[in-house]
Amino acid sequence: MDYTFDWSPIWNNRDLIAEGLLITIALSLVALVFALVVGVLVGTVSASKSRIGRLVAGVFVECMRNVPLLIHMYFWYMALAFLRLPAFSCAVLGLTLYSSAYVAEVVRAGIGGVSRGQTQAAQATGLSPLKVRFLIVYPQALRNIAPSLASLSSQLIKDSSLASVIAVGELTYQAGAIEGQTFRTFEVYITIALLYLALVLCVSRGILALPGMRHAPRVAADA
Amino acid sequence: MPDVILKNLPFLMSGLGNTLLLAFIGIVGGTATGLILAILRHLRVPVLGRVALLYTEIVRGIPLLVMLFICYFALPALFGYRSGAFQASALGFVLFIAAYLAEEFRSGLRSIRTGLEQAGLATGLRPAQVFRLIILPQALRRSVPPVFSQYVRLLKFTSVASVIGVSELTGSALLVNAREFEPVIILTMTALTYLVICSILSFIGRVLYAQLQIRT
Repeated sequence: MDYTFDWSPIWNNRDLIAEGLLITIALSLVALVFALVVGVLVGTVSASKSRIGRLVAGVFVECMRNVPLLIHMYFWYMALAFLRLPAFSCAVLGLTLYSSAYVAEVVRAGIGGVSRGQTQAAQATGLSPLKVRFLIVYPQALRNIAPSLASLSSQLIKDSSLASVIAVGELTYQAGAIEGQTFRTFEVYITIALLYLALVLCVSRGILALPGMRHAPRVAADA
Repeated sequence: MPDVILKNLPFLMSGLGNTLLLAFIGIVGGTATGLILAILRHLRVPVLGRVALLYTEIVRGIPLLVMLFICYFALPALFGYRSGAFQASALGFVLFIAAYLAEEFRSGLRSIRTGLEQAGLATGLRPAQVFRLIILPQALRRSVPPVFSQYVRLLKFTSVASVIGVSELTGSALLVNAREFEPVIILTMTALTYLVICSILSFIGRVLYAQLQIRT
């Protein structure tokens, strides 16, 4: 092992790394918001009583989930080339579709985990169907699925590294660029690995620390 | 089937072969490594248990692409060896998926009630026998569904090897696309192929789980 470490190229390129980190955060954040919206919609449909709705949601989830994210990236980048969208939007689209399938599965399980008695009791008090969902079902489901959502979010941040293949200038892409100029292979990749690690830890711990995300104490058994 | 695919079918098939081979290496190597890591942590082996914990936490925080770059570029540079893209990606997949599998196996091990262990000890079995004959088989049976969903993830993740130049299914599809320029057809067919092989793998998992159930 006669490798001599030289960390100065990393420090000299710190603005490139910072820019990459910012784009990674922006990409993950935008994709996460969209994935949550789509995922909650699809998950709600697949937990509903409608047979056709369940079928459609199921097909969507299987098709999105069983195709590698890399293929999603290339597909939306190349198939929508005629729209001349910036690579960033294609990456958001790919990440959103891929992750929303996972979110949908988690949401479906979360809704299924809220006992029927809760819905029935809410209806009995005269709440409108929409209020039953937003005031009774979703808040309880959210607590149950918070750990899964936290791990999906950190999954999404890691997955965003694949946007580098369609030339989105995020962290992994910048690492490749710095490595190409300086040949400090080991230092560059260790640095960005640590940055991803820090980001993932912050997000997965942070989400669970939000108020309302922790498990409510079970007060009474369901009838 | 579209002409473009038929014309390049042998090439794409060899790509599919590489994808399956990579997934197979990853599954076998990752399962073995993951199981060892999980057991080290579950039995709280001094030092090694901590090392296993550190390893799984770090690897689970790093994107696969970065892991592959480390295995292909960084490790050979650091230790002064040469590595082909295929070997490097195989190593990367094993190291990567082992951390996730370790976590699944460990939660399987933790889900076994302590009463079983006590009952086993009370019958006069040695602690090692209790673990090998009672705890481990039940934990493995319980971890089949999550472990197979990790296998499916790995199968999809083999596509990332194309980025470091391995000619597996995605890599060969991209090469064919570079020559023919029919991205929609070629990528759709590739996506369908992944859909089929992933569905087969998760079907195997479901059948296996049903087979392994204890009938009472």
